[in-house]
Amino acid sequence: MAVQPYGVIATFNTAPELYHAAEQVRDAGYRHWDCITPFPVHGLDKAMGLKRSIVPRISLAGGITGFITGMTMIWWTGAVDYPLIVGGKPLFSPMFAFPVSYELTILFTAFATIIGMFLVNGLPRHYHPVLKYDHIVRGMDDTFFIVIEARDPRFNLANTKAMLEKIGGAAVTELEP
Amino acid sequence: MAHASDHAADAPAILSEVKPAVLPRATLVENNRSFNWITEKICGIIEGKTPTWWWVCFILACFVASFTVAGITYLVITGVGVWGHANPVNWAWDIVNFVFWIGIGHAGTLISAILCLLRQKWRTSINRAAEAMTIFAVVCAAIFPVFHVGRVWYAWYLFPIPNSNVIWQNFRSPLEWDVFAVSTYGTVSVLFWYIGLIPDLAVLRDRFFNAGNKIRSFLYGLFAMGWRGSNRHWSNYEMAYLILAGISTPLVLSVHTIVSFDFAVSLIPGWHTTIFPPYFVAGAIFSGFGMVLTLMLPLRAVYGLQDLITQYHIDCMCKITLATGTIVGYAYGIEFFIAWYGANPYEGFAFINRAFGHYAWAYWIMIGCNVITPQFFWFKAVRNNTALVWILSIFVNVGMWFERFVIIVTSLARDFLPSSWGYYSPSIVEIFTFFGTFGVFSVLFLLFIRFLPIMPMAELKAVTPQADVHGGHGAEGKH
Amino acid sequence: MISQATTAPVALPAESGDASAKKALTVGIVGIALTAIGLLVPGAGAKVVATSWLVGLTFWSAMAIGMLMLVMIHHIFDASWSTVIRRQFEHGLASFKWLLVLFIPLLITPWIAHGDLVWPWMNLDGEIHGGHTVGHDPLYLKKAGFLNKWAFVFGTIGFFLLWMWLSARLRKASFSQDSDGDLKWTFMSRKTAAFGIPIGALTLTAAAIYWVKSLEYHWFSTMYGVWFFANCARGALAIGILIMIWLWNRGDYKGVLNTNHFYSIGMLSFAFTVFWAYVTFSQYFLIWNANVPEETFWYNLRELNHDGSTNQWWYVGLVILFGHFVVPFLYLLSYKHKVVHSKIKPAALWILGVILIDVCYNVLPILKDAHGDARPFLTLNLLWVLTSVVGVGGVCVWSYLRSLPTAKLIPIRDPRIGESLTHHE
Repeated sequence: MAVQPYGVIATFNTAPELYHAAEQVRDAGYRHWDCITPFPVHGLDKAMGLKRSIVPRISLAGGITGFITGMTMIWWTGAVDYPLIVGGKPLFSPMFAFPVSYELTILFTAFATIIGMFLVNGLPRHYHPVLKYDHIVRGMDDTFFIVIEARDPRFNLANTKAMLEKIGGAAVTELEP
Repeated sequence: MAHASDHAADAPAILSEVKPAVLPRATLVENNRSFNWITEKICGIIEGKTPTWWWVCFILACFVASFTVAGITYLVITGVGVWGHANPVNWAWDIVNFVFWIGIGHAGTLISAILCLLRQKWRTSINRAAEAMTIFAVVCAAIFPVFHVGRVWYAWYLFPIPNSNVIWQNFRSPLEWDVFAVSTYGTVSVLFWYIGLIPDLAVLRDRFFNAGNKIRSFLYGLFAMGWRGSNRHWSNYEMAYLILAGISTPLVLSVHTIVSFDFAVSLIPGWHTTIFPPYFVAGAIFSGFGMVLTLMLPLRAVYGLQDLITQYHIDCMCKITLATGTIVGYAYGIEFFIAWYGANPYEGFAFINRAFGHYAWAYWIMIGCNVITPQFFWFKAVRNNTALVWILSIFVNVGMWFERFVIIVTSLARDFLPSSWGYYSPSIVEIFTFFGTFGVFSVLFLLFIRFLPIMPMAELKAVTPQADVHGGHGAEGKH
Repeated sequence: MISQATTAPVALPAESGDASAKKALTVGIVGIALTAIGLLVPGAGAKVVATSWLVGLTFWSAMAIGMLMLVMIHHIFDASWSTVIRRQFEHGLASFKWLLVLFIPLLITPWIAHGDLVWPWMNLDGEIHGGHTVGHDPLYLKKAGFLNKWAFVFGTIGFFLLWMWLSARLRKASFSQDSDGDLKWTFMSRKTAAFGIPIGALTLTAAAIYWVKSLEYHWFSTMYGVWFFANCARGALAIGILIMIWLWNRGDYKGVLNTNHFYSIGMLSFAFTVFWAYVTFSQYFLIWNANVPEETFWYNLRELNHDGSTNQWWYVGLVILFGHFVVPFLYLLSYKHKVVHSKIKPAALWILGVILIDVCYNVLPILKDAHGDARPFLTLNLLWVLTSVVGVGGVCVWSYLRSLPTAKLIPIRDPRIGESLTHHE
């Protein structure tokens, strides 16, 4: 037996075709599979059976860290390490510490969101079999693909190919690993 | 047309019986363009030959930018005294220009973040350029405070980094809040912009690869982070984008709020007023939309983007300019009223002086440009006349610069004691430095439109009728 | 979900709520009667009762103003999802004329006794701190052109007439479209909104200044109108949520609303929570930071007694900070809390409660004891605030219920109704 392929890829020309095909792949019980689309297709998450993204939780953790960092920094520098009365204001007050803590909340949330998004997505990534596909440039442009990976327990080269063809996939091809 | 009927197809059957009034939504991409047309149109700008006009503009912009370079070089060599500030007007063009540029940046964030949260889909064709505008405007803004510190090589003292004096920054000062606000704003704007660019960079990576340009493919690929259009990625990506939009909204409000705190926490008449935060924010958005119109209308004409930036887009931008200009008018009015109602003679004087004192010319330019000019946008004929809209947008830019000038200079020049009154005029160095920032901005913007996709292709495709998965398939399966 | 339940209730006029309307009116009249009895109760006094009545009126007027502004904002944005909810706000607008009627007692107070039953500046002979009278107070004389009895009375009547006029235009356009489906009504509403929003902004600012801010006529803040607007919008949204749930449970809204309507209105509530916090914080923060006595006294009165001890209003302030901002902010962050009826309903009620406390915080400290300290929040006086809120509220709810059966449940021939019914995230 030759090298096990990474998976098979099927082409769909329109968003509705992809959408309905995705519903059928989902219903067929596949787990390790994906859609390649040039833009986020509305409603496709549901058609694929994806859960709500966990990125918001990472963002929230970042935001809380940022706020605490700001408050702690201002309290420690102003009231502990080098207490200095300026403008008759208290050494520390959450009032004047608020603007900076607020900005740090946002800054940390932004970094947490982006880093979280990359980590959850497994990016950056130097190489991926899908990107080796000859027509992938169309997948960034105006064509849609469904990829079913070989590691999926239900994967069976012949059957999976047949199924993809049945649900409307054109040019069903194996992907090199 | 397709857009409206698609949704009607999903609607309850009862609607076909009662026949609601029909008022189709404006299409956002005209002439029913295909996905491929959008890709070709936008990538074509980058892949095509550099047009002559670009070189002409670029060289001109570099020349103008050299004024800033010369101005700040002279300042660094000589000292801050080369600017025209002197007692009592110790803040003048530097902070006027700073607030002016920061304010312009805000429309970019407004378009990309607030309109995203409000699901105003028309934002898609202008948000990329508007975000770029934000970043470049922040760069221009930062020049002024950074060089105003005098010995610019000590500018790192602004950040809480342990230094040899073992003293810390004064977190009670709004100027220190500004440091955090503006640097956070700059950083988050870059991140937000970059996140939006990733899918488009992947398109360019693959296109240049196929065209055999390995170097550019590598460079775009480096920043595309291995994006492959996976829907599992899109799902997290869209969530991250939404969160960034969600936090950019309070961010953009806070930045101009904190800028307004620079003035409002003080006791100077005309500065200490509680409406400053929202008033500054509205003004910032107003000026920013002025700048977006100033930039986008020529771009649309030069690149033939009429199908992507439609009359509907221009209408929307004009209306926002009108709305924010009117809010600014409300703030001017309420400030004047409360200056009288508060019965504080200094406060009252500050406002009378603005309108009728030595700087009255600046005040009336401000009123004319900021309150009167946008009122023209009530009229459809005006909004449909692109050239006129462009001219009016210039007035908005001018007016908002004068607003900051009026607030800052008139209040300082005539504060409490007549013995400490003065009159401020800018020095030639200041004028050059400010003039040059338009060049700095233009250089950056020209580089952007040459090397990066000026519109978010993925988002544009998502708002076309053919992106709707229920299009043409009737209503079955929904929900 | 939608496709099954679409047929029945949409096209029908909303079910008549005669019984509930009567109940609401009864509750309202009882509330008003109890408040009136307060005038006779020894220890309460006309001043306390009249000030409490002002709280009730301000609170409910804020709701109606908020609805008016939201309807106009809906039209100016050409919004789609809110179309199915807009009709309920249009019914809510029916309350303006009754609010004006209920305002009449306060409009005649300037001519009762010394005139300063509620607003101290209405009595020129009233003594102020330091032994002067209002009539000799330069700070009053400066603004007498604005703060005088006639301007107050005609101003208030004028504001209500303007609101009633705008409401009448919006209601007429919307209701007429139900029968003829003519597009001109949509354009009429849009036009009303275009000039109505500036009118609304100016009148609500002026109303906030006359009714509430001028209670302490030495004090001034340019932010005040914006603060009032933030409460108006939050209150109207909270009431909108309650109506949606009520009509859902009653069956009317089944098949009309979906999860995303709740999500969207929850999002708006969240946004206005942040907006309210922004505005309120900015006002407090700038006054705190500048620390000028001519402004800080207003907050001092709400934090300290004359001997420097902390008074009850300090804690009320904290309740507002946490209850009006922190709690709703954190609560509404969650998706589930916005879309599950049993979870969003308490949030809406909570927001209405804290808005009432916020109004109390702004109004009630005008009731002072012999030392010039604000009388505590938790006293028997609060009873009259509650009867006033119930009294005015009963009438407002009655006017809404009375209007409800006069039109279809949703603007069925609005050009955006299709988009609204299929509203998706």
